[in-house]
Amino acid sequence: MGIIDSFLETMGDLASESGFAGFLEAGGWKNIVMILISFLFMYLAIAKGFEPLLLLPISFGMLLTNLPFAEMYHPEYWEYLENVQERTGELNSHYIDYGRILQHGGLLDILYMGVKLQIYPPLIFLGIGAMTDFGPLIANPKSFLLGAAAQGGIFFTFIGAALLGMTAAECGSIAIIGGADGPTAIYVSSKLLSKTDSIGVGTIALAAYTYMALVPIIQPPIMRALTTKKERSVVMGQLRQVSKIEKLIFPILVTVIISLMVPSAAPLVGMLMFGNLLKESGCCDRIAKTAQNELMNIITIFLGASVGATTRADKILTLSFGKVILLGVIAFSIGTACGVLLGKLMYIISGKTINPLIGSAGVSAVPMAARVSQKVGQEEVPTNYLLMHAMGPNVAGVIGSAVAAGVLLSIVQV
Amino acid sequence: MSELAGSLLQPMLKASEKDLSGGTIASVVITGICVVFIGLIILILCVTVYGKAFDAINKKKAAAQKAEQEAKAKENAAKVAPSPAPAPAAPVVEDGIEEEIVAVITAAIAAMGASSGKKLALRSISTAKGSRNAWAAAGVAENTRPF
Repeated sequence: MGIIDSFLETMGDLASESGFAGFLEAGGWKNIVMILISFLFMYLAIAKGFEPLLLLPISFGMLLTNLPFAEMYHPEYWEYLENVQERTGELNSHYIDYGRILQHGGLLDILYMGVKLQIYPPLIFLGIGAMTDFGPLIANPKSFLLGAAAQGGIFFTFIGAALLGMTAAECGSIAIIGGADGPTAIYVSSKLLSKTDSIGVGTIALAAYTYMALVPIIQPPIMRALTTKKERSVVMGQLRQVSKIEKLIFPILVTVIISLMVPSAAPLVGMLMFGNLLKESGCCDRIAKTAQNELMNIITIFLGASVGATTRADKILTLSFGKVILLGVIAFSIGTACGVLLGKLMYIISGKTINPLIGSAGVSAVPMAARVSQKVGQEEVPTNYLLMHAMGPNVAGVIGSAVAAGVLLSIVQV
Repeated sequence: MSELAGSLLQPMLKASEKDLSGGTIASVVITGICVVFIGLIILILCVTVYGKAFDAINKKKAAAQKAEQEAKAKENAAKVAPSPAPAPAAPVVEDGIEEEIVAVITAAIAAMGASSGKKLALRSISTAKGSRNAWAAAGVAENTRPF
């Protein structure tokens, strides 16, 4: 009998330690909800092709982290320790015990360090820089204005978030979604948000990437509503040829000017331009190729999985998540509208030679936003090729949102 | 300029501050939009200026080149009266090579000639003996190029 008893006891222990038992604990149903949401995201990524390169890693991270007792990610390790005395004797209220994470953390904890220490976003920018051709922007520098205007969404959403009574850190993190730039949003929010805030980096990243995937759905109605048929039918002439030396000077110039003006934008703008210089120099093909492909892919996997991991049910299924989703779409729409409206102004000033549709590409979802301009333009005049003209504001938007991120980081003190 | 930017960018808000006042919000928004626009306008100015400068230099160079070429063309025209080109002989094609392949090779050689300004002729096409096939050769080239 002894054998059977001990067998039953062991089985009972195993059952109570299993993940299934975790679902039955208080709040366990939330994990089930999150797992179902992760399945939905996997479906959207695989069957519908919504930004699959990011959505799939994020959704799998989400699944892993919400399996009870899997212990791959520990939110409690990432809470700031209050008032820890540093070596200089100063009290630091934003202290994370990285030693503890290295000793006891799970795989996803370790990977998440790259997010929390702001390592991944600048590296992704390196890859983006190595893939981007700034030629259209150099050929038509006025595009910078459109890239700047589209950042209006960031700052107007700041107002909205503040009116909802959120903390300064939350306002900044939500507002940056309007830049339509995933890495920038992660960079800003991982710097600003702390445990006293009701939202986390995962929430911001999810919202940012969701809206980036929805660019072709959100933007066209706004673009059509704000422009007349005549404005949309403007055919723009060919861009001038840009010489190699101009392309070489551009990244160096931008790095120097922007980093001197807004030092906190230096990590993002600097790496973006470093990647671009590698590409344009023509003498570092091997490194440029690695930045574009292997490095970018590795970071995307790490970033996606670990950001997905932060979406623990107890952290994310809150009222604030709804607020982020709502304010995020507002941020995005205002950004698009600001770009189109400045495009209209430039249409008038330029004597009707600029198509205002390229303004919406000022949000920095590269190259999706430019493709949307192209598509909406072709609905009016099928032979109109706005793509290269829209790429100007589009890449200007990447620089613009990095600057806006720098401004937010300098204004809001951590 | 940098002083102005510096004073604008003084940290104004604590991250944990709640219920921000209207004035604070307005100043954040105005500062933010202004700094972004100022930064990008400076870039516009720089890019426009150096774009114009290089455009001017390139145009000068192009004009000089054109003049030189024209002068040469005139000289040549004066020296040699153009003689009718001999009818091109059809290339000798080895058996077993398809017509499409011949067309591709001819086109590639014509393109090369066009880019370097020379007139090239294709005399014969035959398979090389004892060599790697094209894919293997490309693989070797790819792997050994860096060294």
